[in-house]
Amino acid sequence: MNDNRPLSPHLSIHKKILTAVFSIFHRLTGFGLSIGSIFIAGWIAMISLGPNYFIIFQSISSFFVFKIFLFIWTLGIFFHLFNGIRYLYWSFGIGMELKTINNSGYLVILLTILSTIIVWMTV
Amino acid sequence: MVQFTLPANSKVVEGCIYQNKDQNILLKKLKIYRWDPEKQENPRLDTYEIDQKKCGPMVLDALIKIKDEIDTTLTFRRSCREGVCGSCAMNIDGINTLACIKPMNEIKNEIKVYPLPHMKVVKDLVPDLSEAYKQLESIKPWIEKDPETRNDKVHLKKRERKQTPENRAKLDGKWECILCFCCTTSCPSYWWNGDKYLGPAVLLQASRWINDTRDSRRKERLKEIDDSFKLYRCHSIMNCTQSCPKGLNPAKEIAEIKKAIVTEK
Ligand code: SF4
Ligand code: SF4
Ligand code: FES
Repeated sequence: MNDNRPLSPHLSIHKKILTAVFSIFHRLTGFGLSIGSIFIAGWIAMISLGPNYFIIFQSISSFFVFKIFLFIWTLGIFFHLFNGIRYLYWSFGIGMELKTINNSGYLVILLTILSTIIVWMTV
Repeated sequence: MVQFTLPANSKVVEGCIYQNKDQNILLKKLKIYRWDPEKQENPRLDTYEIDQKKCGPMVLDALIKIKDEIDTTLTFRRSCREGVCGSCAMNIDGINTLACIKPMNEIKNEIKVYPLPHMKVVKDLVPDLSEAYKQLESIKPWIEKDPETRNDKVHLKKRERKQTPENRAKLDGKWECILCFCCTTSCPSYWWNGDKYLGPAVLLQASRWINDTRDSRRKERLKEIDDSFKLYRCHSIMNCTQSCPKGLNPAKEIAEIKKAIVTEK
């Protein structure tokens, strides 16, 4: 047998499918959120550490970059939450018809955006 | 190790162009993956121009036309030409499907044809499926009976084992699988862990035998498959269900197996 056989192309030629993109994002947000939560925890802890730290807290908070970070963070949280609920249903074999899968995907995007907007309008 | 890029010998290069200079034709371009085991060369992408007016409607018709009229060395599998044998599975326009039931008109511009993804290529569009077949064998795709019941009347008289319509209905959505492996080779988990993860096609088969009421090894079958690699590499990415040309839902069947393992312990 010829073991010089090439491997057929995969990632580069396969269409990106909505559900696969969701799956990747779910993992990315999961990873990002767990790393990010360390920073968030530190940021919030500064409030309780006394007036000196509170100034640092305030100055960090006023950074525009930090606001963007927080915004993306909120998006990430809501996406991970809603998509997680979707996966939970799948664990019971519910909602796994092709049409439902795509529709629930769109619903996750919609809910994520809506919730993020609501949160940012109230703070 | 997961490798996202292709090894050096597998990188695809531009190949030959077979132009069609005839007048008054309905031109369709096909770009087809080629690899010849007898040459020490990298795979290449050859371009063929055909007249769609003088060709059947399906991608397989075009492949046959090319082999007949332009390039006899083009190699691919086909048999039934009507979507029941599973031979002509390949990646067309980015999605794994059966060439014989994929209409060319569904693809606007040029048609890109590759072998099933992340498989060893035997030649051109023919992937090596022997590992996948071994995995299929590992789940024992046949009815198994307890030793006690093996000698029962039905068996001794070699009568058929009947099923009620309700029990038979439990196999719907499973028996229709033609083992084309479109689903398995579209699954990213299978790409990265194909040596240990069984993949959607074989897991769907597993479910077909787990749910056959004439089989007496349901419990054992569930136990055998309850393995972090064999089964739980499925992360519901859903590429499988999206690509099954028979409209089956392997991802759902896999979820059902996982559920049965938890609830029947
Ligand atoms: S649902 Fe499971 S089997 Fe199907 S593509 Fe995704 S990981 Fe693979
Ligand atoms: S489930 Fe569908 S895609 Fe997978 S092997 Fe069976 S027929 Fe082919
Ligand atoms: S030739 Fe049989 S499925 Fe396409």
